[in-house]
Amino acid sequence: MTTDKYFKILPNSAFIHTSGSHKALSEFFDNEKNWGESEVKVGRAWKLDELRIKSNEDLHKLWYVLLKEKNMLLTMEHAAQEENRLFPNPERIDKVEESMKNLEDVVKERNRAYWLLETGETGERPSSLIEDELGREVHKMFDEHPVPMDHESEDTISKWQDVRNFQRLMKEKEFLEKRRALRRVRSHVCKLLRRFPDVDMEKLQQQYPEVDVQALRKRKDSRGHHDKNLS
Amino acid sequence: MPRLTRLLRNVSDMTKQSSNLPEAYIKRAMDQVEWKTPNAIQYRQTEIKRRKFRFTTNRPWTQQFRQQNQPGTHRKKVFLEPVPEWTFFKGDRVEILVGEDKGKQGLVNYIVQERNWVMVDGLNCHYRYIGKKKGFPGMMVKSEAPLLVTTQVGLIDPSDGKPTQAEWRYTEEGEKVRVSLRTGRIIPLPKLAEETPDYKTKSTYKVQEKDTSADQLTSITFEPQLKTFAMEIAEKMGIKEDRIPRKSFWY
Repeated sequence: MTTDKYFKILPNSAFIHTSGSHKALSEFFDNEKNWGESEVKVGRAWKLDELRIKSNEDLHKLWYVLLKEKNMLLTMEHAAQEENRLFPNPERIDKVEESMKNLEDVVKERNRAYWLLETGETGERPSSLIEDELGREVHKMFDEHPVPMDHESEDTISKWQDVRNFQRLMKEKEFLEKRRALRRVRSHVCKLLRRFPDVDMEKLQQQYPEVDVQALRKRKDSRGHHDKNLS
Repeated sequence: MPRLTRLLRNVSDMTKQSSNLPEAYIKRAMDQVEWKTPNAIQYRQTEIKRRKFRFTTNRPWTQQFRQQNQPGTHRKKVFLEPVPEWTFFKGDRVEILVGEDKGKQGLVNYIVQERNWVMVDGLNCHYRYIGKKKGFPGMMVKSEAPLLVTTQVGLIDPSDGKPTQAEWRYTEEGEKVRVSLRTGRIIPLPKLAEETPDYKTKSTYKVQEKDTSADQLTSITFEPQLKTFAMEIAEKMGIKEDRIPRKSFWY
């Protein structure tokens, strides 16, 4: 019996997955006293600093507590939608998700520390900034392959002129967008100056660092219906 | 892009803090996505959604807010005087500088930072009818009107009881405090400032059923070990793994 041989490696406890209370399917649903309530109060999400002081085992357990809670909440949300009823405090889902995200971050942090110490690499999926086929700088997440990259089989057709054309158009588009954005900010600041002649110029400059507020003050569009105009 | 960052700063910190709601929820509740590309590799991910919202005294996650920003509605842009450092908090004593209640002092009871507004308890009021129906004239209620923090209200300096401008500064101990610009005295934050729908003050928070107890939260169980997360869990569960993975290439 091959299966017996395989399963004997692991102790029996590894296969039994139990939760605290054996309520079977009803664990997908909320406590019955919360049904039909208009408000179910809960605390806040777990913060990074609170998770950092917990052992790996605790985090592992907490992950499944959170996952069960999320399952329960999503089931309740779906059930409420089916019945055309109100799902109380939908922000509970976001709180659980935030906790799970923080927990994952802490686990990644610990793993990264181990790999950096042992191998000098982060042990995460490698990625880097590369130039794609159109000559744009993109951030690429690499995939794992059993064989090294074959440079010879790559596309050898020259795309040089097409890429040049594309680059030119892309740069033009970027430039136009940038100019448009700057113009929009400039006009906004002029309108602010027109409406609030007594505005604190330093604060205004602080909020809009990309334009010269003092110069805009002299412009015609900054003149308002008051006697505080500069020119 | 400067424009983008300004748009993302839509909902103010004061609103988030006073609601005690996760940011993701506020974003989710506000979202009005008209169309989104399917999540597949052949699409350049884009979405058509509402980007400009009219903020009023209704909070962004409420049904009323959604109603005021219904799809298809377009409201004129509101120009706001820049207020880089917000100095008004719930429970602050302020003096009204304009209008019928000019010179009167009261407590701030509602803040809309997105519009530079505060509302003062029982002052600067108007009357309106609610629940008006056919055959019923409605009920008259008194409600406060918002006031601009830049020109219409002044924070009271507790040392002399007169309105002043305020600023954030650091004490020698490195504590951030609110300081009156006229006298240089510290204006302490009111207790109501940390009030949220979940608690009045942090110390009086009522523990709910699913909350983690403070002892459990603060107990330190982490012991640094030269193992990854998976290695330690596998060891705890008695799983032995000594296979060596084949060499692989990433590109």
